[in-house]
Amino acid sequence: METKRVLILGVLFILLVVLVVLFFRSGGEERIKPSAGVVSPELESLSKKPGETRKIVLFFPSEEDSLLHKEEREMLADASLVQEAKQTIEELLNGSKNGYLSPFPPETKLRELFVTKEGVAYVDFSREIQEKHLSGSSSEMATVFSIVNSLAYNFNSVKKVFILIDGGEKETLGGHISLLRPFLPQYDLVAK
Amino acid sequence: MTWSRGKDYYLLNIRIKHNNFSYDYFSLNNPHKLVIDISLHDEKNSKEDKILKGKEVLRKEEPRKEFPSRSSREIKTVVIDPGHGGLEIGAKGKFGTAEKDITLDISFKLKAIIERNLAFRVVMTREKDIDISLDNRTAIANNNRADLFISVHANSSYRKEASGPETFFLSQKATDEEARRLAYLENNSAELEEGIDRENEEEIQMILWDMAQASYLRQSSQLAESIQKELNLLLGTTDRGIKQAPFKVLAGVACPAVLVEVAFLSNADEEKKLGTEEFQSNVAQAVFQGLVNYLKLHSQE
Repeated sequence: METKRVLILGVLFILLVVLVVLFFRSGGEERIKPSAGVVSPELESLSKKPGETRKIVLFFPSEEDSLLHKEEREMLADASLVQEAKQTIEELLNGSKNGYLSPFPPETKLRELFVTKEGVAYVDFSREIQEKHLSGSSSEMATVFSIVNSLAYNFNSVKKVFILIDGGEKETLGGHISLLRPFLPQYDLVAK
Repeated sequence: MTWSRGKDYYLLNIRIKHNNFSYDYFSLNNPHKLVIDISLHDEKNSKEDKILKGKEVLRKEEPRKEFPSRSSREIKTVVIDPGHGGLEIGAKGKFGTAEKDITLDISFKLKAIIERNLAFRVVMTREKDIDISLDNRTAIANNNRADLFISVHANSSYRKEASGPETFFLSQKATDEEARRLAYLENNSAELEEGIDRENEEEIQMILWDMAQASYLRQSSQLAESIQKELNLLLGTTDRGIKQAPFKVLAGVACPAVLVEVAFLSNADEEKKLGTEEFQSNVAQAVFQGLVNYLKLHSQE
């Protein structure tokens, strides 16, 4: 009886040790998992030759209603998604050719843009976008979603857009719309 | 838990290391028994409330100070948040009207009307021209256990003609947005070559969890609707409807919460109106009426 009990206890002890080891090892592996890396560039397998143009759609607010309006543009195609996305934002900052309004303070510059492999485009603007912003729910919505929609609509691999200012995360443009999360595009704000 | 004896009563003292709880009590005869149910509310898992029970023989009811009666618990707290303040001016009209001043004026008027008409506790996130972070505004609401949260703002738009009040509540679940986005892309974009993408779904669920407001969206939309209706009615404005947007100040509020943009400072006519006592009082009255209608709606449910 004694030996049998010792044997059972022994087996249970070994089982416990194995479980503990397994527990910690599996936990460890999870911790090692690399955090979302900034990979990016050539995600979009573009088979475009230099000199070729592509059509893009920009989103601008208008004087007539509180919606965003589409404006088509031709721009130079580029083998790199990032380059094309940068061009798109530059075009947006240059303003509308159809008389729509610009949702940016005129001094606003694009500082940097990159896209993670998870499909989040990080767009970094100069500080004027915040310092000289009109500040108001409607104006902030217009600024944010002209950027977000213009990127997500034209680039299939851009799922969300994160807006940075002067190289860092900022809470809001002017006290309303949160910039601390990436935005999904919002097409219900677009004129039909 | 301790108990002591007073002149003609026993005092039961229960300390709870938790600031979010509710309790209920009833007494039984034969033998005399006082049953106190204390429910601790875990924010993420309210179903697993721990219930503590205590019983004690009583000769007389406890003093009210120690045990607020149930009816006093039903008195609601409204937190009014006057937008902006201090160095953070908010929108600015072309005649120099600052959003931070208008929001404070209207908030004071709204507070006075509520206190005059309802047995509500009204807390303001600021009563002076000072800077308060958006996180702190949310914290003030939650620490005061707000039952309703109303953030008061004045709008601005790139459109000079934009006018009228707008009431917002927080954007609906990101998953809905995702679904809408996919539907839109399918219908409108020639770019969509891949199938429907669901890889971000898990991440979206995570996002939802840290938004306290997510579970109050239905009530928030009703409150917004109720207020917007009164604003349109009282001010004779065209209906701009209720809207959803990802407002920083609303995301963490753990009760029905709305943000009211009373008028546009970017519109010259509305800027002039916003500076008048009459307009401010009308707006406060309308928001109050909307709040009352919302409460009526909920007392029927």
